[in-house]
Amino acid sequence: MAIKFEQVNFEYPSFDGTNFSALKDINLEIAEKGEFITLIGETGSGKSTLVQHMNALIRPTTGSVTIYGIKIEKDTKKKGKVKLNPLRQRVGLVFQFPEYQLFEETVLKDIIFGPKNFGVKESVAIERAKQVIKHVGLDEEYLKRSPFNLSGGEKKRVSIAGILAMEPDILVLDEPTSGLDPKGRDDLLKLFMGIHNDLNKTVIIITHDMNTVYKYASRVLVMNEGHLVYDGLPQELFSKENIKSWNLDIPDIITITRQLEDKLDVNFDSQPHTIQELFELVKEVI
Amino acid sequence: MKNIIIGQYLPGTSFLYKMDPRSKIIALMILMISTFILKDVTHILIMLGVVLLILKIGGIPIVRIARGLKPIMILLLFTFTFQIIFIKTGNLIFDTELTLTVFTLPLMIFIILFWYLTRRYIKFKFLYLLITAFGILTMLSLYTPGSVLSSSTLEVYGDGLSGAFFIMVRLIIIVTLSTILTLTTKPTDLNLGLEKILKPLSIIRINAEEIAMIISIALRYIPTLLDEANKIMLAQASRGVDFTEGKFKDKVMQIISLLVPMFIISFKRSDDLANAMEARSFVPGKRRTRLHTLSWHNLDTTVIVFCIFIFISAITVRVMF
Amino acid sequence: MNIIEIKDLSFSYQDEVDALSNVTLSVKKGEWVSVLGHNGSGKSTLSKLIIGLLKADSGEIKVDGVILNEESVHDIRRKIGIVFQNPDNQFVGVTVEDDIAFGMENLCFEQSDIVDKIKEYAEKVSMSEYLKKEPHALSGGQKQRVAIAGILAMKTDIIIFDEATSMLDPKGRESIMNYIKEINKAGVTVITITHDMKEAVLSDRIIILKEGRVIACGDTNDILNDKETLNSSNLELLLPLKLQYLLDEANLSNDKVKDILWQLSLNK
Ligand SMILES: Nc1ncnc2c1ncn2[C@@H]1O[C@H](COP(=O)(O)OP(=O)(O)O)[C@@H](O)[C@H]1O
Ligand SMILES: Nc1ncnc2c1ncn2[C@@H]1O[C@H](COP(=O)(O)OP(=O)(O)O)[C@@H](O)[C@H]1O
Ligand SMILES: [Mg+2]
Ligand SMILES: [Mg+2]
Repeated sequence: MAIKFEQVNFEYPSFDGTNFSALKDINLEIAEKGEFITLIGETGSGKSTLVQHMNALIRPTTGSVTIYGIKIEKDTKKKGKVKLNPLRQRVGLVFQFPEYQLFEETVLKDIIFGPKNFGVKESVAIERAKQVIKHVGLDEEYLKRSPFNLSGGEKKRVSIAGILAMEPDILVLDEPTSGLDPKGRDDLLKLFMGIHNDLNKTVIIITHDMNTVYKYASRVLVMNEGHLVYDGLPQELFSKENIKSWNLDIPDIITITRQLEDKLDVNFDSQPHTIQELFELVKEVI
Repeated sequence: MKNIIIGQYLPGTSFLYKMDPRSKIIALMILMISTFILKDVTHILIMLGVVLLILKIGGIPIVRIARGLKPIMILLLFTFTFQIIFIKTGNLIFDTELTLTVFTLPLMIFIILFWYLTRRYIKFKFLYLLITAFGILTMLSLYTPGSVLSSSTLEVYGDGLSGAFFIMVRLIIIVTLSTILTLTTKPTDLNLGLEKILKPLSIIRINAEEIAMIISIALRYIPTLLDEANKIMLAQASRGVDFTEGKFKDKVMQIISLLVPMFIISFKRSDDLANAMEARSFVPGKRRTRLHTLSWHNLDTTVIVFCIFIFISAITVRVMF
Repeated sequence: MNIIEIKDLSFSYQDEVDALSNVTLSVKKGEWVSVLGHNGSGKSTLSKLIIGLLKADSGEIKVDGVILNEESVHDIRRKIGIVFQNPDNQFVGVTVEDDIAFGMENLCFEQSDIVDKIKEYAEKVSMSEYLKKEPHALSGGQKQRVAIAGILAMKTDIIIFDEATSMLDPKGRESIMNYIKEINKAGVTVITITHDMKEAVLSDRIIILKEGRVIACGDTNDILNDKETLNSSNLELLLPLKLQYLLDEANLSNDKVKDILWQLSLNK
């Protein structure tokens, strides 16, 4: 197991002493390879807080998170024996807004910033940068440009390249597709699928888009008011009753299938995953 | 960042909360000036009594005031020591020979080292400092084995002691008064009050309304900026920036990696904000009506009259005695 | 009657490629128009030009019969409200009530009037309990609702929503869309800017932008029937429409299915 949460509670300290409990009794295991996980839940449900535990950016108030065999607890840092940086290299976390991390004059310098912090030689880091920039679907020519003169989608890609260049074993992305148009979103998701399939890495993404969940995820985690309320297959999630109370949408393909069944007064044998599958089913009944 | 509060507003219902921010600011200034007018220990103690009375009637816990005094503890201690050591007039109250010997010198260094290393684990740091300092002084005056390295006399004179006491009380009064203001007035009201009081400055071309607008936007965005800074720090920490370690060169880079995104995001934000304000028909310098207006009550007049009474009394005692 | 008329509008940021070129369009009083387009197609630029935050290189904008220029810009802004994309960057007030009041203060409403209107419009967007709250205690959707209340209180004839839902979660999105429907029903001209076809089909008319040009403009029904344009617009087709196209290709469609899929496309 790469990451293991055991009875994790987390409270944000506050000024007036009434601490805010953002995570409640989380138990969770994440494998090093082969998972494509989506993490969903309404705003404020604790998604970002959860993923920030995965590379020891924040430490549980009670309970523990074990990352690659290293146990992180409340006072881990105070004891000062545990080096957190190696964990952050192995679990790469991309924040929601690329503006949070881009700061160098050129894209190249920005991409090699992470690897260099982890002790990678500059020449090696530059080689990696040339690799990852292509990986995220940008031309090598972009390396010379300033990260601030790029479009929103391009900035996002550069920020992801900066994490990929650290060669993490697990890639975690906080709302990578929010605000992007359909094409930009699909391109990015294909990129993540590519990383997942080609390099066999576990990828975790936070999203509000249920179509993404249904189409790509091998496993879905649902957060609700600090609790992890669902951990399983997407197919089963959307047939559950409580889905409304967790303020989640239904994927479009399920909605239209149900509406068609209703209007055409039929019952399809299976729930189609793609429009092509739905077409095959509809073909049978008309 | 759910509960961050700028300033230290403490919700309550006493008369201090019912007052108009303008009258509070004016009252504060009158009382402060009165305090500076007084030159005698007895008088300033009476003033302290008045301030304590205000606290009592206003229902403000002394603990909160003590918390406000904490940051200036060192300043208080410094002025106190300074006054005691350097003022050599009045009658001699106390004198003692301080002797440094071959034994006490290493002992003293050891005590200081011990204090330095242990102080972070002690809850009452200030008290600990005082006790340590007092302990060293006692040792130097009473315990004198071995050959003498150097010796000097510590003399405390009446004027020094009373002067030190006087300055300390004055500082405490001033800090307490301003703490009362910030504890009982919301930042927005304070801002509005200041705006109105500064209004006459428009004669010398200072636009109080614009200053107030800037302050209120700052108040609005400081929590957001802190939140943002925290997220940027986490984002860079994810890329291996360890803000607690690193050589000097790395440190510089780490700070840059924090500041550049802060600036870029703030520029973008202020751009957006300016657009949003203009789109809602904001024109800098143009007259606007206000949702919050201030209203002056009898209470305010009473308090101001009381403060003026104190002020006149202060002048009187200063002149008469 | 056209409340907005735009003719041959062009604009570029710092001599770069045109963000908008030769845009011509009009919006009728009381209707709901969607402006659809990919990221960077010039949607926000267009909305900033309409309220005079940017100045056009060439072309003309008329709002309610008045040509937009330096003299008329303040009057025109009284007629148009705009809700921006980022909930955090448009919250001016220190508290919810201050923010709702901001526009009215600028328009010099009477204080007592402001107090009444805050109550009335906070009620409209279900934010009455939050009047004294500070923005960091609110969710994104709630902040957007406050922005809407502030604009409704100014009683503008036109409201532009520039991707006002794109940073929200499904729940926040749904609630904002419901308010937009209501506002339009009450007679306000609404322009929603989006890249989500599902939101666009709710409006009366759709204008599609691509790389700074208008590539389609028409009734929602007509646009949905225009397969070529939709395919070339970089946007995502609605599933029922996709299914319809597949059935058409296989020559399988019949009127009943076609009608059902059409209804589903329109989200009815
Ligand atoms: N730095 C912080 N200080 C205090 N409270 C916070 C902080 N960050 C997040 N929170 C609160 O914790 C809860 C969970 O936040 P978050 O993990 O960001 O949720 P999500 O990512 O699902 O939107 C929210 O209610 C949020 O207001
Ligand atoms: N402040 C700016 N400076 C320079 N170029 C800009 C600026 N704002 C937008 N652009 C460019 O103008 C084009 C249109 O942008 P915008 O109107 O924001 O598109 P949309 O809102 O459709 O996503 C884009 O290519 C964008 O990069
Ligand atoms: Mg989040
Ligand atoms: Mg835009």
